[in-house]
Amino acid sequence: MTSSLERKPPRPRAGLGFEGRILRLVKSAPELRAIESGQVDAVIDPATGKAFLLPDAQLALREDQTRNRSLLALSADWTWELDQDYRFISHSSIAAGNAAPYGAGAIGKRLWELPFDLEEADWKVHRRLLEWRTTFRDLELRCTDRAGEVRYVSFSGEPIVDRKGNFTGYRGITRDITERRRVAPIPENGGASRAVLKVPVREQRAATQDRIANHVLAALPRKDYLGLLDGLDAVTLTYGTVLYEPEEPITHVFFPVDCLVSLLTTVEGHHATEVGLVGREGMVGISHALGMNVSSVRALVQGTGTAMRMSAARFRKAFEKCPPLQRALYRYTYAKLALARQTVACNRFHVIEARLARWLLMTSDRVLSDEFILTQAFLGDMLGVLRAAVNKAACSLQERKVISYSRGKIRILDRTGLEAASCRCYTRIEGLNPDAVP
Amino acid sequence: MPRRKKKQGRSGRAVGTVVVMRLYIAANAPNSALALANLAAICNEYLGDKFKLEIIDVLENPLRALADGILVTPSLAKVSPLPAAKIVGNLGEKSTVLRALGVKERTH
Repeated sequence: MTSSLERKPPRPRAGLGFEGRILRLVKSAPELRAIESGQVDAVIDPATGKAFLLPDAQLALREDQTRNRSLLALSADWTWELDQDYRFISHSSIAAGNAAPYGAGAIGKRLWELPFDLEEADWKVHRRLLEWRTTFRDLELRCTDRAGEVRYVSFSGEPIVDRKGNFTGYRGITRDITERRRVAPIPENGGASRAVLKVPVREQRAATQDRIANHVLAALPRKDYLGLLDGLDAVTLTYGTVLYEPEEPITHVFFPVDCLVSLLTTVEGHHATEVGLVGREGMVGISHALGMNVSSVRALVQGTGTAMRMSAARFRKAFEKCPPLQRALYRYTYAKLALARQTVACNRFHVIEARLARWLLMTSDRVLSDEFILTQAFLGDMLGVLRAAVNKAACSLQERKVISYSRGKIRILDRTGLEAASCRCYTRIEGLNPDAVP
Repeated sequence: MPRRKKKQGRSGRAVGTVVVMRLYIAANAPNSALALANLAAICNEYLGDKFKLEIIDVLENPLRALADGILVTPSLAKVSPLPAAKIVGNLGEKSTVLRALGVKERTH
């Protein structure tokens, strides 16, 4: 069989630089016809296994990039990129001669190492958001420029994930919002990050809650979030309160903000064992989203704090109407299910010390604090072991100076050490965090 | 009318058969973007949710395309139901695409 090329040599097309080498490889007629009629973007060379963009496509892609860049220049004053440890690896001044007020020395430093005026607690929240690999929007910061004038900048960023799904850093934009701030100055007592513009109360609530809120809620588009807000009220959940008992109807669902709720399964004749832990990354009462209005577990508040509460009926209605909420909760349910599976395997195979370390890390992640109060008996229930075993494991961790433990007060001294002491389940579970799923 | 019915029964797509396809593209180069849009329109009109589409970017994954016998992009390969078929180009001709997918074109 003769190749189509020999039968009908291709018309030389303007700008097609490598036809001699590549086109000979294209033997069948349809490919050739497509190339001739300009319907092809790229050709793969079987000899090298590489794809080559045809000149027209190259040009179009380059134009596309230029267009994006000019759009970016319209919407942002600066763009930047952070590495895995959140250090600036690049910081551009798109508009020439427009230096960022926080100085040229940003490269190699983290955002909180720059001279911004923000309270440590707020930085902590921001750092946790970064650790959770979430997209952050409009982190508003105040700083003083070289001329001694107060300037406001707003940071937004998104995580970068490579092709294998590994986190490689953050990239984002910064806008200078000083002018806007001059028009609507912030109240003196409000911190820079919490400050809001003069907007209706509901909007304002949304704006302030955005930064601290529960992750399921924070992941919702603004419109849907505002729609839900009316049905939500903030309640304080205190340590030891039982929200649901098994087989009892669910009257309210909860979106924890800074409290911690433990899900326990009871086995006849034994203490309850923990099967799940819900913090600000999730929702308590997930079975309601799955169509069951009874709880299968006991939900026990384990860390005092705030939660957003919504009545079950109202939640049901909102859930049906709001696909983003459905998606967020399905993802979360998936993560929860995977966590339960991992916990089962972990409880069966791993030593108590590793499990204790994992549990402390998970708790700390959810309450955004390195210090919390837990008795040994309670920990024993959580891990499904005797109190004495907990004591032994805790002492061992304390000896290695990764935690300090006295009178039920646990403090994580060395997070990396604790991570090393915990079993691999911790990294696996945290990898399943719904926020980590792009 | 009866003739049409008979023909549909013999060569038309069986109800419920899922068409599995792979579309090979080069990032968002113009023809690739066009092919994707054309295919999306066709799937929407004729296949409903009875299809599975895998999109392969040859700039990221040239060897995969090569292994599947694809040399230029955009290309669409029908994997199942058999017979397998391949179309090259931006999928602008609806009738060609439908014939390759084994879907009967609506006359009205």
